Amino acid sequence: MAVINSLGTLEKFISNSDNTENAFYISEIPDVCKEYPCIVGIDEAGRGPVLGPMVYGTSFCPINEQMIYNKLDCADSKELNEEKRDLIFTNICKQNKTVGWAVDIISPNIISNNMLSRKKVSLNQISMDSAVGLIRAVESAGVKIAHVFVDTVGPPEKYQSYLKGLFPQFEITVSKKADSLYPVVSAASICAKVTRDHALKVWKFAEDIEATYENYGSGYPSDPVTKKFMEGHCDPVFGYPQLVRFSWSTAENALEKLAYHIDGENKEPTKKAPPVNNTSITSFFKLANKDNTEKKVPHEFFAQRCLSRDVEF
Amino acid sequence: MATIHINCGKGNLNCSNKNSNVQSVPFKILADASANVDKYFNKCIKTTENGHSKASFRGLPLLGKNVRLPEGYLGVVLHESLKPHDEKSERNFYVTNEFSNINFWNWDKDPSDNDSITQALQWLDVANALHSPIIEE
Repeated sequence: MAVINSLGTLEKFISNSDNTENAFYISEIPDVCKEYPCIVGIDEAGRGPVLGPMVYGTSFCPINEQMIYNKLDCADSKELNEEKRDLIFTNICKQNKTVGWAVDIISPNIISNNMLSRKKVSLNQISMDSAVGLIRAVESAGVKIAHVFVDTVGPPEKYQSYLKGLFPQFEITVSKKADSLYPVVSAASICAKVTRDHALKVWKFAEDIEATYENYGSGYPSDPVTKKFMEGHCDPVFGYPQLVRFSWSTAENALEKLAYHIDGENKEPTKKAPPVNNTSITSFFKLANKDNTEKKVPHEFFAQRCLSRDVEF
Repeated sequence: MATIHINCGKGNLNCSNKNSNVQSVPFKILADASANVDKYFNKCIKTTENGHSKASFRGLPLLGKNVRLPEGYLGVVLHESLKPHDEKSERNFYVTNEFSNINFWNWDKDPSDNDSITQALQWLDVANALHSPIIEE
């Protein structure tokens, strides 16, 4: 697999991946990370936006070397501007003798498919699965994990005990705003955020839609550019290209307004069981009703096969 | 009951679209209009590990398979330009397309023999058995 060691190679990796599926990248593992106990940071980018992938990122290095994150200027990625984040990411790549990283790019199509499946997988579940997947990937790559730091938006206690149950051998810290508290999480956050931003920039529409980053914006429902894109790029039948997360209320509301309505199994309220036909046994002894006007009902065979006579073409 | 005419060929609508690409989605789209099927749908169809097809419709996961119509049958797409207001008038349908297979889609469910399309096509065999003349040996 091609090595990502710059913004250019990152963009190349993203462009070469199928953006309707998830993509995963893990850097080469520094030898020191296999030898000495390491800290691992995990954070996400692009959870809220109505379009583009959600990216989970991780960064890791030996505990003894963790001051390197301060030298790299890793702070809360939301506090940094894009240029600064790109620079820090490039520097993280350069520290490949000490620091390793990985990203899990979750395609908007996969997010939609999961949330709109019969099981209705929640975004929380998708997020946790991704974080768990990252820890497993880092572990199986040979990193000597000692302590994992995870950022969360939800209640940390439940999440922490969930991870602790899966990884009893590691120390786990789940915390809100971990990206500003722990530089290792900051670094993870920067890897995730930079990957998401560049994924949006190099997005190739499978649907051959001529639109660039300038046309669809950040993806936050409040972004006027994104709003305009959502209003202007709605196909009345298919709705949106697969860049869009259909499971977002922003998308659902726009479809309600701009696209043909659809009826289907997914929209149907759960059907009530048909009333049981309680014919009493004595009724069979009564005089038969000779009235022959009763409508002929087709055999069950047809009903089971959804076949009906339809003169109303 | 009103008479129904099905017209095909010369002087009617173009019937040159042989074996058109028919997609049967598990939703009713409440519209009667043309759709950008190639742009938004056909391009994104993939094959799964077990040989079925996989696609998305408005973010909903679809699993499907290609169903061939039985030998001796032909599917036709009909168009009615003007639907009469009363039920007694004659009606005219024009063949606009033909097809011999259907891409049948389920919402997040592997295609199987329990799918309505497969079950419905069973009727053709049963009908054949029921309605063909009995030949005494």
